[in-house]
Amino acid sequence: MTKSIIDGKPPQKRSRLRPWIFPACVAGIYLILLVITPDRAWVGLQAAWRVLIQAALPLLLAFGMMFLLNMFITPVHVSNFLGNGVGVRSVFFSAAAGIISMGPIFAWYPFLKSLRKKGASDFHLANFLSHRAVKPALLPMMILYFGWRFSLIFTIFCILSALVTATVVSLLGRQR
Amino acid sequence: MKIAVPADGPSLEARVQVKLGTTPYLLVVDSDDLSFEVLDGPPPSLGSGAGVQALSIVLGKGANVILVGYISPNISNPLQKNGIEVVTSVFGSVREAVMKYKCGGFDLAENSGRKSGSKLSAQQSSRWAEALRKTAKQYSTLIPVLTGVILLTGLFKAFMPKELLLTMFSGSIIQDTFAGAFIGSLLSGNPINSYVIGETFLEMGVDFFGVTAMMLTWVTVWLVQMPVEISVFGTRFTLVRNVVAFLVAIPASILIVWLSGGAS
Repeated sequence: MTKSIIDGKPPQKRSRLRPWIFPACVAGIYLILLVITPDRAWVGLQAAWRVLIQAALPLLLAFGMMFLLNMFITPVHVSNFLGNGVGVRSVFFSAAAGIISMGPIFAWYPFLKSLRKKGASDFHLANFLSHRAVKPALLPMMILYFGWRFSLIFTIFCILSALVTATVVSLLGRQR
Repeated sequence: MKIAVPADGPSLEARVQVKLGTTPYLLVVDSDDLSFEVLDGPPPSLGSGAGVQALSIVLGKGANVILVGYISPNISNPLQKNGIEVVTSVFGSVREAVMKYKCGGFDLAENSGRKSGSKLSAQQSSRWAEALRKTAKQYSTLIPVLTGVILLTGLFKAFMPKELLLTMFSGSIIQDTFAGAFIGSLLSGNPINSYVIGETFLEMGVDFFGVTAMMLTWVTVWLVQMPVEISVFGTRFTLVRNVVAFLVAIPASILIVWLSGGAS
């Protein structure tokens, strides 16, 4: 029998409430501060409210962009991109796979690990990881916060930095 | 022809499973002589990535047909475009399913691109629902942390003296860029949070070099996740990737700010 390609760990049950521990702790700090120094705590709450209002529209735009990407891009596209092509084409494909891959990076680790075992090069793996810095779904939000010129240049430099990082990793990163 | 079937056991008499991502076994059956290879299904700890892992396994074994109970149209459509035939609503034993496929017993028109208008429309709406569900799930993981970050920025603005923050960011381009890059390396999570924190830093008087470096290393240097990255790619790969990403972020941040003139 062929063994599983990746080393799975026993499933761990995650509480649905666990992600809320962090905001609950911050809310707890607010409650304490509202008792100790209500004026300053109120200033803090007002500031947080302003940040929330400021973020509402960009968040809505980001939701729309993420929906469109989820609609038209699937993990199958990503795996096809990462496994295809040679030469410049393969650089483009692994970069594209990194850019369109969504969700937390650790969700992609098992897949990348299996690709590595199948012989994917360090360059392409590092290229995929580094290009995850480019977030097309969040671009509207970044533009609303920092302006289109900054966002465009930031995105271009993310791509250039990713290529430099992948090249150096492919030269120095291989275990000997 | 190689046919992949998710099954509840390592034999042709095992039952076909509903989903690729939750199956204990994957059978790759040669339709000519019914010889087969048994592969372990993806571990449940993979969660939503398990389906992709299962696909990666069977496609790596050369399967060009998949018989399964259900597969999302988001997955099956691109597979079919790439020449992989996907047949859904399959049940019974693996042997029965393969024999039925060989005898042309499945309504392949239903499973291929040749669909009637109503079926196409049903599949389209299912695709919309799937994309909406996935996006909502991604957002549901983002919202708690973002809520905490927004509340924290309020506290930061109310209680953190500007002078204290500005001791880290002295006004020197190099020092501020390093400080920002260091902060970004320590933090992780959705980059939206880095935009909110960056905006707050700017309002408090931190210069754009530090904020840009923080936003850049936020998405390229993952100090907190380093142990996991090491377990996947090895120590050398991980260290080189993170160190290089950090070092590249310094000149890149300076150039970004110079070329853009800061935020508009």
